Amino acid sequence: MKAKTKTKRVFIPGCSLSSYNPELVEKTIKYLKNKLPGTGAILKCCGKPTKALGQYDEFKERYAGLQKEIDALGADEIIVACQSCYLTMSASSPEQNVRSLWALMPEIGMPEGTVGKAKDSDITFGVHDSCSTRDRDDIHEGIRWIIEQLGYNTEEPPHTKGDTRCCGFGGMVVPANPDLAQQIMEKRTDEFETDYLVTYCAACRASMYKGGKKAVHILDLIFGDVWTSESDFPDLEGSVASWVNRYKTKKKIQEVLS
Amino acid sequence: MQLTEKVLNEMNEVIDDCLADEPPYCQARCPLDIDVQGYITLIRDGKYKEAIRLIREKTIFPGVLGRVCAHPCEEECKRGELEEALSIKNLKRFAADMADDPADWDLSRKAETGKKVAVIGAGPSGAVAAYHLQKEGHQVSIYEKLPEVGGMLRFGIPAYRLPHDIIDYEYSILDKLGVETHLNTEVGKDIEFAQLKEDFDAVYVAAGAHKGIMIPIDGADLDGVLIGADFLRDAALGNEVEMGKKIVVIGGGNVAMDVARTAWRLGAEEINVACLESGNQIPAHSWEIEDAEEEGIIMNPGWGPKEIMGEDKVEGISFKKCEQVFDNEGNFNPAYCEETIRELEADTVIFAIGQRAEDSFVEAEDVELNETDEITLQSETENVFVGGDCKGTPLLAVEAMSHGRKAAISIDRYLKDEDLFENRENEGAYESKLEKEIDPEEPVRRRVDMRMIDVEERKNNFDEVELGFNIAEAKGEALRCLECECKECIKDCLMLEKYCDSPKALFQEVKDVGIDPLVYYSCNMCSQCTLVCPKEFELKDRFMDLRKLAVKENNGESPIKGHKAIKWHQRLGFSKFFTTSQPASDKEEDSK
Repeated sequence: MKAKTKTKRVFIPGCSLSSYNPELVEKTIKYLKNKLPGTGAILKCCGKPTKALGQYDEFKERYAGLQKEIDALGADEIIVACQSCYLTMSASSPEQNVRSLWALMPEIGMPEGTVGKAKDSDITFGVHDSCSTRDRDDIHEGIRWIIEQLGYNTEEPPHTKGDTRCCGFGGMVVPANPDLAQQIMEKRTDEFETDYLVTYCAACRASMYKGGKKAVHILDLIFGDVWTSESDFPDLEGSVASWVNRYKTKKKIQEVLS
Repeated sequence: MQLTEKVLNEMNEVIDDCLADEPPYCQARCPLDIDVQGYITLIRDGKYKEAIRLIREKTIFPGVLGRVCAHPCEEECKRGELEEALSIKNLKRFAADMADDPADWDLSRKAETGKKVAVIGAGPSGAVAAYHLQKEGHQVSIYEKLPEVGGMLRFGIPAYRLPHDIIDYEYSILDKLGVETHLNTEVGKDIEFAQLKEDFDAVYVAAGAHKGIMIPIDGADLDGVLIGADFLRDAALGNEVEMGKKIVVIGGGNVAMDVARTAWRLGAEEINVACLESGNQIPAHSWEIEDAEEEGIIMNPGWGPKEIMGEDKVEGISFKKCEQVFDNEGNFNPAYCEETIRELEADTVIFAIGQRAEDSFVEAEDVELNETDEITLQSETENVFVGGDCKGTPLLAVEAMSHGRKAAISIDRYLKDEDLFENRENEGAYESKLEKEIDPEEPVRRRVDMRMIDVEERKNNFDEVELGFNIAEAKGEALRCLECECKECIKDCLMLEKYCDSPKALFQEVKDVGIDPLVYYSCNMCSQCTLVCPKEFELKDRFMDLRKLAVKENNGESPIKGHKAIKWHQRLGFSKFFTTSQPASDKEEDSK
């Protein structure tokens, strides 16, 4: 039986994060549930890929499906962990207040036991900002606040924050023009001196990996073990593994919010 | 692809206003539109033949301009904001010195039209007009009063700045093209203007301004008072010049400097130049003054002539202090302090305060030299055109040449019965719309000075003073070019770099012939181009417009093969198996 707490807000982890790592989604929901009681969750695509291809009619149909779920839960706030979701939902859900998890965390505080945990790490993480939210200073500041709280050293590339460069994944270029996308990924990773990068988008993470770096998602830093030069860094998950992860994420969400 | 009106309008904005084909500042400022950046980079790369060929596309006078052009381009050079402008003029001369060869000259002509054009004056303006008109297939005859070609290039500019053999060499292209030049033929005396007007289909009046102006002060009629223009002409012709040892030149322009330096070469021992203006108001170019001072010429700025003293011959000249040259409205309105007087001993006083056109030959005609149309240079009499100095305003050599080209375009159209006014906005100098910012890491590179012969060696001869650049100097100087252009987006975006020369060209192609959908499906939609674009064009929106249209024309699907998988991803991403919607739960949580 589901508990009858009113659902004030809903966390939408997004497709790429769910395909990347179900445990990180699970831990995020637990954290939000603890800090912000009344948080539900939806695992469903926002339809952005269709919009990116120019299929606006199909996108409207897809998004209407998601909106229906949000409205059914009665949430008036959406928390997102994906920057594409942030833009798409901000534009398409005028009745809901859309918030980025990364801008929210400085307000509600770090998960317990995470502050200062990485102060002895021997790694400097280069910070790669997502280009889709290049004009959101609150997100850039939130990300840097989180990393500072954890205790990692950081490196800013020449193009950063509002002036960040695309990871190469944007605009659905990877399936259309993989060779060009690969060059763009390498152009971006070339900007960093350090071998270790942190992103806050799972697709960006995959791009930075393809560009030849060791790359993690910021949730890996928050909820994972402390990363050092001795750590095993995640590589690329195949298509089948991604869908398995997506399924696992669904199960985790249902478990945590049962 | 069928473009909708809205999509087309947005695209046209980029096509119209993208700065990719905007010329660099130097070229826009050049009255002859010479591709400065083009020839400078060719010199840098050691391609001297190509460099001179490029220069010759816009002028038949690379060696002349490479020596005496007042180079307005250098005033606009972006490098000037860093340390000093590029030495553009000297690089042009280098290209001419190194690689100009009459065997390479383009002597092609369009088919004979049977039309005849008379040009009055073999100066730079007349020569350029004659060249272009002859190339167009018309038959040009030049009428020149003086015994040699060149006009002010030869009779105004002293040979130590512009050797006569350079003039003759570059003018020889007119002969090669079949232009007929009649020297020692004064219109109004040897041949009547009315005759030319009748015998020729069109006439270009480019007779220059050779008549020196005098001011009627006391003593102006004494022996030993000379006119600068006549003085320079006599010197150029090798005529005997009656000049003493102590010279005072009146005037502060470039001509005054030429007069002073010529007098020095002819044996004058003490040369004073006096002018009304002081400081940066002095009209002569700063480098002309520097060169004159190097030869011992004494500048006396801020003095107006009061009286030339002497019985029959000049013995001296007195000046009154000039306190204002221009009034508050900017009009020439000198004011003097009559009490502050200064005297200079002199046996020769030379006036170099301006020249005007000799216009008596058109007096009986319906032609006012200074009232011709600014855009076409056409006079009241429809087959008569007027340009160069004789139009009433003193011009730089390069501007006189620009007039020549302008007149040639007008005359050619007139002879073909075409509209004289169409598409003439960007003739001559104009402003570049470029918005170049200098890279803060751009290293400082000092301008290469031109080597000159020693001052002592210049005395008593008219040998060329400037020695020209050697290869090392030219390459070093060419390296300083910042290559101003707007390719900011192309430099920043691999996709744009791969698929186009500029957004302007790309969207023109979309309009004209269409492009491969892969191009607009290769945009990352990241807005980096917009960030660096001076016009802040949202190119990603333009690519998205094209994607939408492509989808519409392709049954709702992307035309890109690789995007088929996304269709399946989307189906799965919305399927029940991979989605869930969970309300909040108040179940106690162990993990925090």
